[in-house]
Amino acid sequence: MFHEILSALVAVATLQNLLIMIAGIWGGVIVGAIPGMTGTMAVTLALPFTFYMEPVPSILLLVALYKGSTYGGSVSAILIKTPGTASAACTALDGYPLAQQGKAGKALNMALYSSVIGDFISNLSLIFFAAPLAVLALRIGPPEFFMLMLFALTTVAGVSGSSLLLGLVSAALGLLLATVGEDMYGSFRFAFTPDMQAGLSIAPVLIGLFALPELIKLVVMRVAKKEEAATLGAQHVTREEFMGSLKAILKGSVIGSVLGAIPGIGPSSAAFFSYGEAQRSSKKGANFGKGELEGIAASESANNGACGATMIPLLALGVPGDVITGVMLGAFMIQGLTPGPLLFQTNIHEVYMLLIGMLVSSVLLFFAGKVTMHMFSKVSHIPQTLLTPLVLLLCIFGIYSIASSTFDVAVLLVMGVVGFGMFLLNIPAAPFLIAFILGPMLEENLRRALAISRGDVSVLLSSPITWIFAVLILFVLTITVRREIQKTKTERRLAQ
Amino acid sequence: MPKPVLRGLIIVAFFALTAFVLVPAYVPRPAFIPGFAPPPDMWPRTVALAGIVLGALALLFAFTRERPADEPVETDGSSPARMVARFAGLMVAFVLFLVAIPLLGFLVATMLLTLCIVLMTGERGNHVWIALLAFGGPILLQLFFHSALGTQFPKGVLTKPFGF
Repeated sequence: MFHEILSALVAVATLQNLLIMIAGIWGGVIVGAIPGMTGTMAVTLALPFTFYMEPVPSILLLVALYKGSTYGGSVSAILIKTPGTASAACTALDGYPLAQQGKAGKALNMALYSSVIGDFISNLSLIFFAAPLAVLALRIGPPEFFMLMLFALTTVAGVSGSSLLLGLVSAALGLLLATVGEDMYGSFRFAFTPDMQAGLSIAPVLIGLFALPELIKLVVMRVAKKEEAATLGAQHVTREEFMGSLKAILKGSVIGSVLGAIPGIGPSSAAFFSYGEAQRSSKKGANFGKGELEGIAASESANNGACGATMIPLLALGVPGDVITGVMLGAFMIQGLTPGPLLFQTNIHEVYMLLIGMLVSSVLLFFAGKVTMHMFSKVSHIPQTLLTPLVLLLCIFGIYSIASSTFDVAVLLVMGVVGFGMFLLNIPAAPFLIAFILGPMLEENLRRALAISRGDVSVLLSSPITWIFAVLILFVLTITVRREIQKTKTERRLAQ
Repeated sequence: MPKPVLRGLIIVAFFALTAFVLVPAYVPRPAFIPGFAPPPDMWPRTVALAGIVLGALALLFAFTRERPADEPVETDGSSPARMVARFAGLMVAFVLFLVAIPLLGFLVATMLLTLCIVLMTGERGNHVWIALLAFGGPILLQLFFHSALGTQFPKGVLTKPFGF
């Protein structure tokens, strides 16, 4: 094992890989810092470029973008009170008041230190937990995999958007779209045109669904936010300030790592949970929301802490926990690697390279954050009316270059319209995407399980593991419904 | 019509159309299926039927539950008719773009689409930036993808004599 780690370290430590990771982190920080641009967009826009790269550098690029954008989201949150990403919403609560006090640089530095520590701890958790989980997963068969994926889908549907029902509708739409094309026995389904016989590619569907609705919203509703960015002001975080926030950072990192590993939870919920916990347990809890560094530390350590951990279910079980890891699953598949327990047997060298690369990218995040801090206030000023059409341009060229297919460009545009329609109807897009990616595997495992059991549906509840997942699904459904009922009651009470 | 009712109706209609029209017509059953493997229409039919149930529940809750109103969609204050017109304009732009690719080539079609979109966002100042984005952007991207990745972009029937 030591020899494998060493050889992976040597393989990662090439100039090419380091440059790719630096570009990814730096690009991610910039994209995350621009209001309206999200980490999901950064990762999806980079996807077409990874087609021409080796498997490990391509995944490292996407991971670096993910981490960079998660930290970058805090920049616009602190400078212009507009979180670049949803996971940075809590950071704005204390970051912007600090910026107004002339301490934007201090807030950005604290966000950077917390993000780096959270990210590093999260990567360690990935290294220690992914392999044992994969070994455990090797013992499960098609019925268990079907139930596991159903569980992941239910969780994502439950936590995305405001309604479980709409989350499930979104997942059903994604599952249906995934059936387009040739099935496992060679039948063509919903092949309305010859191009559709091969099915719909992942890249145009997901890029269209997540990047284009922003453009359509801008054209139709014309809401482009313009905010004045604060200057950096006081920059250094003193030793006392750092030590005072260290407990919140460590706690946030652990919260991020644990919640990030659960499919469907992701960085945003981790940040809110960690912020609430820090506020509850801190002596300065009353200052939260008024410009407290500890608040930034709690939020940022948790959201970056979730980044590495979301890779645990992806690598070990082949189940993406959120949209970005869903995109990464697509990137793995495009590269001929299938995440899941077998990855640890067939491609262990690549797995170690990936894990080491992720640790290295934590260090790079620190330097990228430091170097780019001064250009941040300028980046946040790019008008959306120019930026969003640029995104469309990148999408169109990127998608066309993947398969030289005008049909894929058409799919991209149609999915953008579908995404906009879902936005208008308040149907969340995340379950749709996860279902679209998991759909073929879900169906294949179900059909295999039914074939093995000679059509007996009870095979789906034939082992203790399937029962565990069935109970977990019921549990998730119950707590989600309960939460929704409580929320409705509270809102009704407030209205009265 | 209230939004939750409309939403429920759209969901039910879409999944019903899939289950009762599209699946029978566009998911053919092979003459021979090995062993006890379920037929290819089993999964899409199951998902579509589940979708109908979910849509019916959404519709039921829209009538019976007093749910809090959805957050209003942020706009620039334009009338709904104007926003529908903008949306229709955008759809026309997308369709014309796809139609223009074989005629004008990928490069020119993309330039026209970008220019159109920038103007549709309401951007009227920054003339230099608009020109750079609409004309310089596609040229740079085409050069990059063509030289770095070897992508061959389609040339137009009308613009082929000019080389693009």
